[in-house]
Amino acid sequence: MSFNCYQWSLRAVLLVSGALLALPAQSVPRTPVDDATVIEKLPFRAGDSRARELETLRASARKSPGDANAAAALAQAYFDMAQARSDPRYVGYADAVVSQFDNNMSTDLLVIRGMLYQYRHDFDKALVDFASALAQDPERAGAHAWRGAIYLVEAQYDNARKECAALLKLQRPVLHGGCDALVQAYTGQLNSAYATLQQALALARYEDQRLWLLTRLGEVSAWLGQNARAERHYRDALALGLDDGYLLAAWADFLLDTKRPAEVLKLLSAWEASDPLLLRLAEAETLLQVPAAKAHVQALDDRFAAAKLRGDTTHRAEEARFQLRLRKNPALAVQLAAANYHVQKEPRDLRVLLEAALAAHDSAAAKPGRDWLQSTGFEDARIRTLAAQTLQLPPVAKIPVVAP
Amino acid sequence: MKRQLAAFILLVVCQLSAWAHKASDSYLAVDVQGRAVTAQWDIALRDIDFALGLDGDGNAEITWGELRARQNDIAAWALSRLALTRGGVCPLEVTGLQVDDHTDGGYAVLHLSGTCPGEAGALGLQYRLLFDLDKLHRGLLRLTLDGATYTTVLSPTSGVVQFGAAQTSRWAQFSQYLVEGIWHIWIGFDHILFLLSLLLPAVLVLHMRRWQGVSSFGAAMREVLWVVTSFTAAHSITLSLAALGLVSLPSRLVESAIALSVVLAAANNLWPVVEHRRWLVAFGFGLIHGFGFASVLAELGLPADALVLSLLGFNAGVEVGQMAIVAGFLPVAFLLRNTRFYVRDVFGLGSWLTMLVALVWLLERAFDLKLVSA
Repeated sequence: MSFNCYQWSLRAVLLVSGALLALPAQSVPRTPVDDATVIEKLPFRAGDSRARELETLRASARKSPGDANAAAALAQAYFDMAQARSDPRYVGYADAVVSQFDNNMSTDLLVIRGMLYQYRHDFDKALVDFASALAQDPERAGAHAWRGAIYLVEAQYDNARKECAALLKLQRPVLHGGCDALVQAYTGQLNSAYATLQQALALARYEDQRLWLLTRLGEVSAWLGQNARAERHYRDALALGLDDGYLLAAWADFLLDTKRPAEVLKLLSAWEASDPLLLRLAEAETLLQVPAAKAHVQALDDRFAAAKLRGDTTHRAEEARFQLRLRKNPALAVQLAAANYHVQKEPRDLRVLLEAALAAHDSAAAKPGRDWLQSTGFEDARIRTLAAQTLQLPPVAKIPVVAP
Repeated sequence: MKRQLAAFILLVVCQLSAWAHKASDSYLAVDVQGRAVTAQWDIALRDIDFALGLDGDGNAEITWGELRARQNDIAAWALSRLALTRGGVCPLEVTGLQVDDHTDGGYAVLHLSGTCPGEAGALGLQYRLLFDLDKLHRGLLRLTLDGATYTTVLSPTSGVVQFGAAQTSRWAQFSQYLVEGIWHIWIGFDHILFLLSLLLPAVLVLHMRRWQGVSSFGAAMREVLWVVTSFTAAHSITLSLAALGLVSLPSRLVESAIALSVVLAAANNLWPVVEHRRWLVAFGFGLIHGFGFASVLAELGLPADALVLSLLGFNAGVEVGQMAIVAGFLPVAFLLRNTRFYVRDVFGLGSWLTMLVALVWLLERAFDLKLVSA
């Protein structure tokens, strides 16, 4: 690559202003020479079945702008797409569709708006929408299920149990099983949780339900230290052949924990666009010391910076792990993990908090996690060991925060 | 519904995938020196494709040629969603197109330039790219105003943002929305036609089934005042109710009703039913027109920290715009009131034309048709 003087000075100006304003401005716009130069790849071809499905839904929503059902179908399709492709643009699209109805929301739209709020970790607003949906339609199982899920993330297990019970009353055994099993798992009854998940799996008819239950069976088995069983469940889930970011992340974490990074490389090589999966890929590459690691770590750095620019704080758990494992900046990692734990209190959040606290020699930061372990009796041996280690830390040994 | 329940908890525990890829951002760097504006605006190609469709051959790849072919459309689309004001609206144009890459893919780089009416004072910026399609879209702004630098994140709720006049920002915000209000009555032809349909007969009186000019300016003035005041009062009520989120009507219904109001007002001139109580008509339909203004204001966005002030400003702007129309119309109409030209051509033919135009609007809006291409 060659630079002329103009480019260098422009670059210098951009770097200075970039540093001043924290805008990522490393690149200089270019004018392609050839009309055939490809400058962007889109997620679908226009003729793909999924693109056509979306287009049909869009057309029917356009045709009848006041029709809440057409809007709900389109918003739901966008939201499903966001989940399958780990692509938040579709969440914004769904939000724009729903917000046209701000003052006359149908039950469907309320449930979808609740889902959109929870996606942005605005749990309070999500709970309000689910409550309104249930006021309109007390039999709306989805609203109960979502409320249960939010209470689980917030570690409000008594509230979560009430939602699970409502699902049972509405005769949704699979949803009830999934809900109950998680409450059991998070409150120190991993074996019962495993049995409950198995029962739910026996009843589950839909493939995506099976995929979810198998994934959770894998996680519960891993917490119980039964790696062979965990692997079998993960492989059964993968064999269903559905794209699923959560499953891939959980399976990659399992492979990393069992020192099999080479398999992560193979698994995730095509998933760079998804940031949580890129994080796991970069971890595996770093462990294996492959050349691609450096570029991927830099890409993650840029993406965290870009998210920060727009004021996005929904990814702090991942960023903490990134700072801890790939940037070796435990002081920043523990800050991020603690801020995340304030909002989300699942085992994954707890683990990164404990690991970061340990690396940063900050026993106090780990205290909320230790308290949770004590009050719930959560059984994962790895996490209990980590918590015990944070108690052994010398009381005062703060490392100053070093910006990356 | 069952299907969407299927993966319910999965979705929540999928938190870790919540920010994968990246939500949509555009990067807007604006430099204002006195009257001169230059800017660079990086907009994701995926976003342009979603809004306008770029992939001409449907192969899921956007080429430089495909982008270049749509430069004019892209420029018109982008510029209609960005407004700068300094002593008035600063017209902008796209002077160049390039490409660049950000963390989430390829971007079109639009180079803009323009000239502001004022060379000093506060700069107002209003941004609403993609907000109609993507509520999570954000504009990341870096503004250099006469050497001083500001950055901010522009969101659907940020409305018109003011820079460089902190101490007078409340007043500036008010006047910004005042200008928007004036502007929107001037470009809102349906509102103007409605008002004119009611004002045309104000200088006339029906005598033995024939229109004649009124005797005194005072009589005409009184009639106009009644009509304008009641129209104003009515649309202020509904504009406020709608803008504050207390009442909302489907926009198709509102737009159709506005068209219908113009049809009826014009028809009333041709076949008089209501003659002496036009202010009642103005009030009744004014309620509907208020909802129409509210949708403009919703598109504009109201800043959360100065909601009422901006609403007042917009409302006042609409009034000022109306008064300007009245002030231009009334003296001329009064002078011409006894001529055949006014009675037959302006009043008669004008009412016919207004009614026909409004009928076309009504059909288009009620049945979602496109009869006359814009």
